[in-house]
Amino acid sequence: MRNITVEFMLRQGTIKAVENVSLDIFKGEILGVVGESGSGKSTLASTILRMVSSPGRIKEGEIYFEGKELMKMPEDEFNQFRWSNIAMVFQAAQNALNPVLKIKDHFIETAKAHTRMSENDIIEKASKLLEYVRLQPKQVLDSYPHQLSGGMRQRVIIALSLILDPKILILDEPTTALDVITQAYIMDLLAKIHVDLGITMVFLTHDLSLIAKIADRVAVMYAGKIVEIGTVEEIFYGPLHPYTKGLVLAIPSLVDDITARRPIPGSPPNMLDLPSGCRFAPRCGYHMIEYCDGTVQAELIEAKPGHFTTCLEWERMME
Amino acid sequence: MWGEQKLIWYKRILVMLVTVLFAMTLTFILIRIMPGDPVDSMAMDMVRTQGMNYEEAYRQAKAILNYDPEVPIIVQYFSYVKQLARGSLGQSMIYKTSVVDIIGGSLPWTIFLLSISTLLAFLVGIIAGMYVAWKRKTILDPILSVYSSVMSSIPNYIVGLLLILVFSVWLKKLPSSGAYDTSVEPGFNWKFFGNVFKHSLMPIGAFFLTTVGNWALAMKGNAISVLGEDYVNAAKVRGLKQRRIILSYVGRNAILPLVTNLAITFGMMFGGSPLVENVFAYPGVGYFLNQSVGRRDFMLMQGMFLTITVAVVISNFIADILNSILDPRLR
Amino acid sequence: MRDFFAVICRNRRALWGMIILGIFLLMAVVGPLVVPLDTATSYANRYKLPSWEHPLGTDYAGRDTFQQFIHGSREVITVSFVTAIFTILFAFIVGTTAGIMGGKVDAIITFITDIMLTVPSFPVMMILSLAVRITDPISFGLVLSIWSWAGLARAIRSQILSLRKRDFIEASRVLGLKVTHIIFAEILPNITSYIAINFIMIMRNAITASVGLMVLGLVPFSSTHWGMMLQMAVGASGAMYGSSAIVYLLVPIVAITLFQMGCLFFASGLDEALNPRLRTQ
Repeated sequence: MRNITVEFMLRQGTIKAVENVSLDIFKGEILGVVGESGSGKSTLASTILRMVSSPGRIKEGEIYFEGKELMKMPEDEFNQFRWSNIAMVFQAAQNALNPVLKIKDHFIETAKAHTRMSENDIIEKASKLLEYVRLQPKQVLDSYPHQLSGGMRQRVIIALSLILDPKILILDEPTTALDVITQAYIMDLLAKIHVDLGITMVFLTHDLSLIAKIADRVAVMYAGKIVEIGTVEEIFYGPLHPYTKGLVLAIPSLVDDITARRPIPGSPPNMLDLPSGCRFAPRCGYHMIEYCDGTVQAELIEAKPGHFTTCLEWERMME
Repeated sequence: MWGEQKLIWYKRILVMLVTVLFAMTLTFILIRIMPGDPVDSMAMDMVRTQGMNYEEAYRQAKAILNYDPEVPIIVQYFSYVKQLARGSLGQSMIYKTSVVDIIGGSLPWTIFLLSISTLLAFLVGIIAGMYVAWKRKTILDPILSVYSSVMSSIPNYIVGLLLILVFSVWLKKLPSSGAYDTSVEPGFNWKFFGNVFKHSLMPIGAFFLTTVGNWALAMKGNAISVLGEDYVNAAKVRGLKQRRIILSYVGRNAILPLVTNLAITFGMMFGGSPLVENVFAYPGVGYFLNQSVGRRDFMLMQGMFLTITVAVVISNFIADILNSILDPRLR
Repeated sequence: MRDFFAVICRNRRALWGMIILGIFLLMAVVGPLVVPLDTATSYANRYKLPSWEHPLGTDYAGRDTFQQFIHGSREVITVSFVTAIFTILFAFIVGTTAGIMGGKVDAIITFITDIMLTVPSFPVMMILSLAVRITDPISFGLVLSIWSWAGLARAIRSQILSLRKRDFIEASRVLGLKVTHIIFAEILPNITSYIAINFIMIMRNAITASVGLMVLGLVPFSSTHWGMMLQMAVGASGAMYGSSAIVYLLVPIVAITLFQMGCLFFASGLDEALNPRLRTQ
């Protein structure tokens, strides 16, 4: 993804939910995108599938996938492209099912919209997928969404996302609406899917600890921009951006001393009225007045091979 | 689970029966509290029109009306119920035929009028509502709004009057009264159907014009809220075609609450039928109810009132059934 | 109070509604005092077109339509008003009784209202018009309201039931406040907006029903009520068939339509104005 900017035109002003973001997603990896609500990560993900909801619109940027530029594809072609190459599981996906259709109808209609598979073939494949996510195909396929529990529906959605063997699976907070035990179960499942099927996954969440278990690389977003990208070890053990460091320090742990936890001071930025320099500056402990507040639009600096940050003070952070 | 369901249905049927019973009793009471003596007025009428002497007329009137003002009310009530059980609703004073016959002749016309109007308004309305909801900025939206505000403020019988003014008086193209011309023989032939069609155009028009806006607005509201639902978004991201989304996702979910409304509205229109039918002198149930009230024909009044109430009760019952069939969440 | 008007003015539709209703109200209250009613018939003058002397033309007997229209507005509004008051009164009494007393009383009342909701009200009104001699707005209002309160009573009952479960009612009870106090001080303010809107809508329905009864010829009410004007125009005097008579026919129709629209628009704004939770500040 290169130079993606998405804006929302509101009555009070224009919000750049995503500003000039560039990101690479490598085949076969699990990429975690971490950020608080409003950081722009969901919008970024929606952009990949051109699903940005109005009043938002993609102002500029390109996305390259297997040599094709996605933003330039005509709508019909792109509609076919959706789901068969890249699939996405939304936040609170339990409501993603049509209440008047049976589960099997969901599978059938999705497959029929993209392929010429016969109904029997579709049901066979769907059954296999449902078994894979540890559900009973016979029962589930003939049920209506309201007859299943939240966790079951989430698994159905995951199975549904795999029906066309997509190459990339984007998951937006797949476990937020569930209880902790189901959460662990689903994360386990997703890890298994990654290992067995080799699908590239992009994981969006605000919960850094969730990412720690499963991701290969992590990108951290703040106020519409990516502030750091690195491997999961680099991010956790050697963060090169004050925000990331703040997030890591704030994670409670069973073995640690709770008093060592530090919340990030200040409050989330007002997207209508952003500071002109570094957006994290008002809350930053490494803040240097000379250049952090200036009109410098932060670019990602490659501090170490593969480890990027927008903080100009990153060398200080390495100490 | 099944036992529970059956219980609910039995309760509903019970309520239905009690309502009908109540309607019967209500008409019984209403007529008894009328000022004046219905037997007397019928007898006087017979004296006038048939030249009977008063005693004979009074005796006959009592028999026809099945009403003897001297007998205690409870006894009257029971003879009334007995008569009903025999399947008779008495005889109309005005038309000199059995009330049951009049019902048989008029009910089909009212059902014809109401069902076509309601269905037409419903279909056109939901298509319009869907269109306006799907294509967010279209000129149809404000037009719909204005149309609906105005048309729902004009009582339907007045619209009927205006239609008569335009099409019968000025343009002289459509007949202003009756269900069909007396010169045409009723039968299963095109001539008859065509004639009936011509006569029904304006009454149906009056109903249609005043209700279509409301259906459209209701559908628009439902469709918009469905469009905001997650599953519509999820359908889009799965690459489903627009047509599929409109029909199976937005359409089916938005129509659901409206279909039961349809049955209920149908029943309510029965209640309003006297007005439009009167304007067009259309021989339906409402028309005869009106005639009976205006000319104090108590037997006919009872019968028509009962018919209308039973029609509403049945419509509500159908609405209940439809609701439980169509919404998988209720099964 | 100023708040209320501010909200209404912001909503253009509601503003128009209020203006229209205001004009009619003014017409009804002040009009008959200002405009005389000349009932002298003058056959030569029948169905004259609008002119300076007769702003809305004349009727089938040569009387001025404008005067009748103004005087009729008073009748129309009075009848609707009375109907609304009666309906709301009945509905309130029955609804709160059911809601507050609960148990057997509630069950019986619910049963009765169920039946009343099923049996259609217009036929009942038709039949009642035979039994009751309708000579003044009070009796008319009574007939119109007697079968119309069931729906509102149910709604009030359910509002009360849901309010009962809410905390502040419990708090009041714990504080030992009397039932009547609870009704008036706690419950009423919450259903005021609901009742106000219903008031307007009942007036709207009352006009349709009353005019309907008159057009059917069942209720020969005063001769200046718009419904009677309509009935005379259609039934008695061939207004449909003469060209200049069209004005006499259209005056009640347009008046009725405008009034109904005014009610509709105003009611839609009332909800927002009286229900502070709905306001998007």
